[in-house]
Parts: sequence; structure tokens; C-alpha cells
Amino acid sequence: MAAIAGRTYPAVKIEIDSGRVAEFARAIGSDPADGVPPTYAAVYSLGLTAPHLFGDEDAAVDFARLLHAEQEFEWERQPEVGETVVSRGRVASDVSRRGMRFVTFETDTTDEKGATLCRSRALFVIRQEVRPARAPARS
Amino acid sequence: MTERRITFTREQIAAYAEASGDHNPIHLDDEFARSAGLPGVIAHGMLQMGIAATVAAEAAGGPDHLRRLFVRFAGMVEPGDTVTFRAEPNGPNKLGLSALNQRGEAVLTKAVAEYDGHPLPSGERDQGRGA
Repeated sequence: MAAIAGRTYPAVKIEIDSGRVAEFARAIGSDPADGVPPTYAAVYSLGLTAPHLFGDEDAAVDFARLLHAEQEFEWERQPEVGETVVSRGRVASDVSRRGMRFVTFETDTTDEKGATLCRSRALFVIRQEVRPARAPARS
Repeated sequence: MTERRITFTREQIAAYAEASGDHNPIHLDDEFARSAGLPGVIAHGMLQMGIAATVAAEAAGGPDHLRRLFVRFAGMVEPGDTVTFRAEPNGPNKLGLSALNQRGEAVLTKAVAEYDGHPLPSGERDQGRGA
């Protein structure tokens, strides 16, 4: 399995949509009137860029063996409804030990003027396949 | 101390999948979840973090004040589990966050929030209201 530390993925734009923000707020039991929930970053930051990692054939991330182990967000400010933000993902580290692979995936989100809005750091743990001595018999 | 107690349901987990766009079948499909070695569907860690963040935002004086959040997803949350989320002052502009299930097990660990501004700790606010 290739370690892919240092890999960067293309920038993706998203508008902070009022309807989707309200749906997200209700889903976490928050009041939509309170504005954009902080972890809406799961949508405009991590959620926008993680598909690049999961869809990267070289990354070879098996969804069924993936655990989201840690998550950190840092904000310069919270985004406003109606603004467009840009998120870029990168693999900060990718190390394997004792049958586990640890991928630190970072996403920087900026506003339309290029000012930093949010930084996301996700730690994914992927349980590596233990190769059987023989292929299992198929019925 | 700010606190919220939530009993997770399949409906809430499905609503979060829809709203967040995270359609990983371990949250939606029992059979798939079991094939992945889980007891059945589990809640998204990000749903737990979302609720913890709501509690943290309330303690910080509003979501705009939050500057940093960190959590470690330490335990699975299944439909029917009741989790108590708490935020408590932990130093200047810092909150310690906890999330304990009905068995007293931590489902989030090392969870912290940082915020700007200097709102009164919720304990002092509560005393103020009672006076």
C-alpha cells in the first residue's frame, strides 16, 4: 500500500446555503435561528474534500475498514449564510504500524478574498487487511 | 455547566446523513454495519461532535465565539443510547467537554473547546439569575 503523505487535492467551492444550514442545524438538535452551526464545517470543509481522499485509487482507503478517530476544527471566524468558501484537502501524514494505518487529512477553507476561515484536521484509522494464508473457499 | 442529554434514534442518524452528505452505510444499513464488524448501525462521530459543539457554543456565549474544537471518537453510539454532553470551564477561554453514555462510558475523550470573548462561566450566570 502506497503511503501518500504530502498529496494535495484540488480546491472545491461551495455556497453556504441557508436551506442546507437549517437542515443541518435541525439534525444536530440546534436552533436554525442561531446561524451556521460550527460543525457545519463537516459540510463545507471536511465533507467537501474527504471524497477526494476516499476516491483516490492510490490512497486505497477501504470505507468498510475506516474509522474517524479524531477531529479538530479551528476557526478564524464562522462563515455566513450566502457566502462562497473554498476548501482544499491534503494528506498531512500517512503511517502504518501494527496492522493499522493512520492518515491525517487536513483541509484549509478560505473565503472569496482568500482569507483563512477554517482549518480542519481529521485522523482516520484504517484497519489493514490481514491476508489469509489461502483464499477462502467460495460456495 | 452546560448540559444536554440526547437519546439517539435511527431517524436522527438518517437525518444527519442527509444533512451532512455522509452516506457511509455503517450509519444506515444494519447488514453492511455488521459486515464491517459493528453490532449494527452507529451514529456518525460528527453528529456527536455537532451536539458537543452546540453545547460548547452555548457555554461560550454563541457559535460565533468558538475558535477551536477537538474531539477523539472513543466509543460507538448506537440507536437507543442516551448520551449526556457537558461543557465546563477549564481555564481562561477554554472548555472541557464530555460525552458519557447511559453506562457512564465516555464516547468522546480529550474533547476541548476554545473561544474568544469573556462571557461569564455558566455557573456564575446561573447564580446571577437565581439571585
